[in-house]
Amino acid sequence: MSQHSKFTSCSSSSSNNNHSKHKDIKSLLPNFNEFIDGKDSLDNLDAFVSNAVQFIAMCPNAFNKQLPKSENECLQKIMQAMNARSTGGQQQPGQIFYEQYNDATESINEQRVRDMLANLLLCSVQDDSQLQLLLGDGSLLLPPHSSKSSLQSSSQHNGNGNGLRNGNSNGNSSGTSNSNSSGNTISYDPTQASVALGQQPIPNYMLELAKQQNIDVGDDIVQNAIYSFIGVQGKYLKKDVVTGRFKLDAAHAKQLSSGQSSLLLRLAELGYYHDQVKKYSNSSTGYNAMGSMGYAFMSRLKEELNDYHGQVAQLLDVVKRHRLGQLTDYANSDLDWLQQRQQAPLTLMKLITWYMRPLQRMQWLTKISNACQLRKGGELASVVYGFLNNGNPMLDKLANDLLSVCCVPLVHMISKWMLEGGIEDNHGEFFVESLAEVGADRLWHDKFRLRLSMIPSFISHELADKILKTGKCINFLREICKIEEAVKGRKELKHIIDNQVSHIFAFVPDTTWHAAIETCYAQTSKHVLDIMVGPHKLLVHLQGMRRYLLLGQGDFATIFIENIKDELVKLGSDIYSHDLSAMLDAALRGTNAQYDDPEILNHLDVVVKTPYPGDCGWDVISLQYTVRGPLATMLEPAMPTYKTLFKPLWRMKHMEFVLSTNIWKEQMGNAKALRALNNEIGKATYRLNLFTAEIMHFVHQMQYYVHFEVIECNWVELQKRMQEATALDDILDAHSKFLQAISIGCFVKDSTNKESHLGVVYDTIISLVNIQAQFYDDCFTELNARKEMAKIIAESEQSGRFGLTTVQKMERDQERKIFEQKVMTFCHTLEDTSSIYGKAVGGFLLALNSSTDPNLQLFGTRLDFNEYYKKRDTNLSKPLTFEHMRMSNVNGHTKSHSTGRYSMAPQL
Amino acid sequence: MPSEIITLQLGQCGNQIGFEFWKRLCLEHGISPSGVLEDFATDGLDRKDVFFYQADDDHYIPRAVLLDLEPRVINTIMTSAYSKLYNPENVYLSKHGGGAGNNWASGYSQGDKLQEEIFDIIDREADGSDSLEGFVLCHSIAGGTGSGMGSFLMERLADRYPKKLIQTYSVFPNQEEISDVVVQPYNSMLTLRRLITAADSVVVLDNTALNRIACDRLHLQNPTFTQINTLVSTIMSVSTTTLRYPSYMNNNLIGLTAPLIPTPQLHFLMTGYTPLTNDANLSNQAVNVRKTTVLDVMRRLLQPKNMMVSTGPDKTNHHCYISILNIIQGEVDPTQVHKSLQRIRERKLAQFIPWGPTSIQVALSRSSPYVQSSHRVSGLMLANHTSICSLFERALSQFDKLRKRGAFLDQFRREDIFKDDLSELDESREIVDGLVQEYEAATRVDYLEFSANRPSKSEGDTRSEEAKSVKSDI
Repeated sequence: MSQHSKFTSCSSSSSNNNHSKHKDIKSLLPNFNEFIDGKDSLDNLDAFVSNAVQFIAMCPNAFNKQLPKSENECLQKIMQAMNARSTGGQQQPGQIFYEQYNDATESINEQRVRDMLANLLLCSVQDDSQLQLLLGDGSLLLPPHSSKSSLQSSSQHNGNGNGLRNGNSNGNSSGTSNSNSSGNTISYDPTQASVALGQQPIPNYMLELAKQQNIDVGDDIVQNAIYSFIGVQGKYLKKDVVTGRFKLDAAHAKQLSSGQSSLLLRLAELGYYHDQVKKYSNSSTGYNAMGSMGYAFMSRLKEELNDYHGQVAQLLDVVKRHRLGQLTDYANSDLDWLQQRQQAPLTLMKLITWYMRPLQRMQWLTKISNACQLRKGGELASVVYGFLNNGNPMLDKLANDLLSVCCVPLVHMISKWMLEGGIEDNHGEFFVESLAEVGADRLWHDKFRLRLSMIPSFISHELADKILKTGKCINFLREICKIEEAVKGRKELKHIIDNQVSHIFAFVPDTTWHAAIETCYAQTSKHVLDIMVGPHKLLVHLQGMRRYLLLGQGDFATIFIENIKDELVKLGSDIYSHDLSAMLDAALRGTNAQYDDPEILNHLDVVVKTPYPGDCGWDVISLQYTVRGPLATMLEPAMPTYKTLFKPLWRMKHMEFVLSTNIWKEQMGNAKALRALNNEIGKATYRLNLFTAEIMHFVHQMQYYVHFEVIECNWVELQKRMQEATALDDILDAHSKFLQAISIGCFVKDSTNKESHLGVVYDTIISLVNIQAQFYDDCFTELNARKEMAKIIAESEQSGRFGLTTVQKMERDQERKIFEQKVMTFCHTLEDTSSIYGKAVGGFLLALNSSTDPNLQLFGTRLDFNEYYKKRDTNLSKPLTFEHMRMSNVNGHTKSHSTGRYSMAPQL
Repeated sequence: MPSEIITLQLGQCGNQIGFEFWKRLCLEHGISPSGVLEDFATDGLDRKDVFFYQADDDHYIPRAVLLDLEPRVINTIMTSAYSKLYNPENVYLSKHGGGAGNNWASGYSQGDKLQEEIFDIIDREADGSDSLEGFVLCHSIAGGTGSGMGSFLMERLADRYPKKLIQTYSVFPNQEEISDVVVQPYNSMLTLRRLITAADSVVVLDNTALNRIACDRLHLQNPTFTQINTLVSTIMSVSTTTLRYPSYMNNNLIGLTAPLIPTPQLHFLMTGYTPLTNDANLSNQAVNVRKTTVLDVMRRLLQPKNMMVSTGPDKTNHHCYISILNIIQGEVDPTQVHKSLQRIRERKLAQFIPWGPTSIQVALSRSSPYVQSSHRVSGLMLANHTSICSLFERALSQFDKLRKRGAFLDQFRREDIFKDDLSELDESREIVDGLVQEYEAATRVDYLEFSANRPSKSEGDTRSEEAKSVKSDI
């Protein structure tokens, strides 16, 4: 289409009916072929010949490539061909043709025209397509010729040199490019030059001379420009050493007009960009993109350059042919023909129109590859992606092509990873990374990770994560579970993933490619989930850990402690774990744990830490849950957390055990036994009882809080999420969140001093055990002494002697005094201990109340449900937070209420 | 290996409520009346061996000792469907079968006489358990066997097993109807003394309140013993539910009682249960099923009308909770519990002691999957409340009425313990009175000071103290 339009526009000046005639020839050709085939009469030949002659006249150099054969040669060949083709036994068609031809061409005298006509006929006979090509080619060639001719004619005839246009000069380009470089002053009727057909120009030797010069300069400039397109320096254009841009050669620049030089410089810009693209497309320059995706990118650049080179080569060809034509024309000195031939030389202006497209392309290529230099992998893709979706359709297409090419290796990597779990990534450009130094035992959590810098911007983190997990799952199944099971429909998925490259950077991730990735992810993760939850009993194990490590199985914990209570108070160095495992088994058998899955119970073990000096059994004995095989890979990172969580929970159980069995039970039992001493020790025991009740309340609330509010509530949450899980990581995530919540709830590694306050509380309990034991020892000694005394008195009464000796009585009184003293001391110690305890609890409550976590605040209010501490400690009623303010308002209200109650009482 | 509990059932009342209790446990654990585990009850979520042990043929035998001085109730039991459940060796009937004649002293001295045989049984049971946690005694305090022999047994148990807990479910007589047992006030007083000194925790089952609840809440005109006893068995079974369906806390008797009882004497616990319906075949009358939530249940538990102890109107409104344990069963959303507690605190629904920290403890417990309940949530409250002393005050005043006149004392004098003098009665009164005062003191901030002074005071001082406290209270 464009060729035709060019043709028409360019030739309009010289001949308005050119086009139609050309068409006539075309339409005649089939007829002629029929004639050649001998099916029709030869009448058409006349018409053909006349038209052909016209055509030849119009396009004198249509055959300037191939005009090697003379008329006779051609005719002979035609005849041979026709004779060879005819099948019937009639008259030889060649002969008929010859006669007809002679008739038709009688009127043509010009040998050249005859030659061409014969050639034209020969071509049409020999190969139809060749003719088409010829004609097509001719039309392509026509415009430059015609424009050249106009340029030349204008340069010939525009003698006044003021750049005024000839009225009928064709195209604006020639006007602007009009230069008076030739310096000719010959004036000529411009109409003659343009209305060339059928007119004989007056021979003008001056013109010819000037033309000779013009050819040199004009062609040189054009050639220079064309060479510069591919980065070759010429006479006028040299490269700047520093910038690589073309500049005018100082020595020759004078020969150029300012217009020419500016045009040249403009044209040379394309050369610069060409050089740039070339630079980026070459891996040895060090400016190239890297990695396999980089290579893909570069190969694409090279392709672009090849195309471009082809276009430039065509230009060069035109120039060459033109020059050749000029020279041969010159030799033939066929002026008329020459005139027509010179219509279309290449000019700088034409080059300017031509170079816009390649320039734009080269510029953008330069821009893109400049942005891509030294980048690789996803980064590279991201950069190219940035050029996508440009309003410029050419650029959009270009970027799209580039990105498609770049993404091919990436997509292959993805499909290999997602379907086979393999990474082929020599350049480190895939966004999934396998850490070689990480062993298989940490395969799930640490072995693979995302290389964040390599994630292309069109792949969301979520998607990248899914891709990572899919491959991880495959690796996990293969390496850890030893399951070699391909994903269902793997081939189809692979096909989709591999072939729908451009889908990867679709703006909306809903393409078949994305769907395939999703399917792959869903299937693989479901598979792993099924395997872990099914044969490997992940959920059961989690339950087991919650029951035993987090002491959720209360009866088991109680019985276990009961069983090993003797061991627990031993010195750490005297404890041997093999003794304990038997007791552990006994505890497991004796409690509801026996109904648990034996597989779970087998994982449970009791371990003894290396004791520090002074450690007792409570400090060194702990439970351990050993996970093996695939589970270990999953849960190994969580085990230290369980270990740290076990400690406070165990300690709490310890405290509860000590409080209830060692302290409370003793008190209850001894209260019955020591009733006789009530007068002396009543005050002390009451103080002791109440203090115990206070601690008991604290420990039970604490335990309730941790076990119920923290662990149970979070466990419920975890179970819910485990039910909803679609992938293993959902469960593991939920699980780690669960552990984290518990860690916070149990004040493990708390930033505030809650833990230390708790430590003080617990220490108080331990010291209370000892104080109390000492106290009751003293009490029983006293009690026994009294009984002894009473016995002696009774015996003496029986034996008739009178009571006691004074010494005995004195001794007894002395002992009694000492005992009373001891009770006093005990009271003081108790008082001290309870004040330490009170301070610790106060601090703990304060820390809770000032905490930002509402759960902790609630726990604080629960610990002080009847506002016992708040009334005693003004700090606690200070308004710290809004919640607190609200609570203290309530408090203030009830205070007035309660005082009211007391004041009301006497009046009633 | 678990913390086993041996149940001792004494006397007519004790055996009756015990019988209901075991019936209930069998139902909850899916154990047939003959002790065989039902086919549907093999999921192993419950812990049966606290209250049962298994015979060689794997059938379950309750750790129960049935004692009575007259054969009527035990014979009923032994001819019921559950006769094969019990170990026949654990059923002890006194040879003469004449009973204690509603006489505490008679029961006490018969206990003394029979103690060897009885302790043969108890010791055998105790030795048969791995780590015995304690004894549970079911009896009434008004009759002869349960109160008299029960008192004796408590004293002996406390001596013999000083490290074991003694918990009792003690039925207090109905105050609203005139008892045919005229010496009931004496019996009560004498038993109360042992409950104070020998037991570690007493769950008070007040017949007055039980009857009231049966009338008001269950709409029964004349509740039968069985119906009342079903109420009792519900309380007993629910209060042991954390032992039988272990979770993370309160899995043994000591863990259950220790936080409730701050000082050795203040160990009388009230109970409350909601929602009470006829679904435990109490009556055929339809009681509309309410929507139950945790807050609902906890709020209702704090209402006096749901308490199974009738404490009389607290005019001065000074009585308060020393401690509370709520055992909540059913479909409970854990987060609801905190909210309910918070609400109760904000609304001041419960009044607590001023002298120490305390709160409502909550134990969530599974309920038996084999017993259908029409309610989503149900709750039992075990509370240590100072108003329980009004029960003792009432006993004291009734005792005083009789004692002043010296009525009906002859039959007591016949027994060994009273053959010298009646000081036992007066001592008991003094101890019970002391307890009343201690409960009164526990309502005040200076409880600690009071307790310290009390033992050193003479009787006269105590009286004046009493007078003082009465003055200030009224």
